[in-house]
Amino acid sequence: MTQPGTHDDRALLNRAQAGDISAFEELVGRHQDRVYGLALRMTRSEPDAAEIAQDTFLSAYQHLPEFRGEAAFGSWVHRIAANNALMRLRHQRVRDLVVEEPAEPEFTDRGSLAEYPETDWSRRADDKLLDDELGHAIQQATDGLAEGYREVFLLKDLEGMSYEEISEMLGISVPAVKSRLHRARLALRQAIDDFYKEV
Amino acid sequence: MFTCKDSIDHLVHFLDGELSPEDEAHLQEHLGGCPPCVDFVNTYRATSGMARRALVKKMPAEVGSALQSFLRSKLAAK
Repeated sequence: MTQPGTHDDRALLNRAQAGDISAFEELVGRHQDRVYGLALRMTRSEPDAAEIAQDTFLSAYQHLPEFRGEAAFGSWVHRIAANNALMRLRHQRVRDLVVEEPAEPEFTDRGSLAEYPETDWSRRADDKLLDDELGHAIQQATDGLAEGYREVFLLKDLEGMSYEEISEMLGISVPAVKSRLHRARLALRQAIDDFYKEV
Repeated sequence: MFTCKDSIDHLVHFLDGELSPEDEAHLQEHLGGCPPCVDFVNTYRATSGMARRALVKKMPAEVGSALQSFLRSKLAAK
């Protein structure tokens, strides 16, 4: 996962740790889009995402003296943001529990695919511009993934976190993370396939 | 030899390069004779990248301004 200038972050971080607030503000400016994007994708709420961004950067500032730099600053704030988003989701889930496993492909009794892919649309994945309607279909399909599956997909395939990190954050085993990731990818692949069938 | 279902069930491990040599051989053998599964693997592999591009979100300018004001008020109080 590409991160904004890790090398330059280090110099800004050193200044911020020495008390230079403007250096910290520059770090915030470099990472605010990624933090906000993560929070918005996870919570699907713009007000929640804005609050999570505020909480994340305030928490990062408060813990600057303890940050030893084993990880990049971007990875560190990203992880804080992911934890904040997960805590918010857990709180919401107590009120609004939805557990529905994503559908898997159908197979014949002999284990063959019951329905073949419409086309090999993977070649269109490199198009410079994703069609707005396709983007909307992907957004809807992602939002529609069951809780537990959506978070795993977002944290792994969009945020680039490791299986071990996700396992620790969600309190589930690595094989369970991989299983949920697979089911989520299958559901999204199907949604894109359905889109191409309709156009 | 793998069926379509076996092949698709192993995709996460396949893309992570974590299949045993034996399972890798079974999968490659299946793909060699099953064009629909080749399409399936290609599209499964492409799904994450397409989602990444479709779900990019930038912080709106007004949210960025509010974040800056929030942090300045908190940091100045320290």
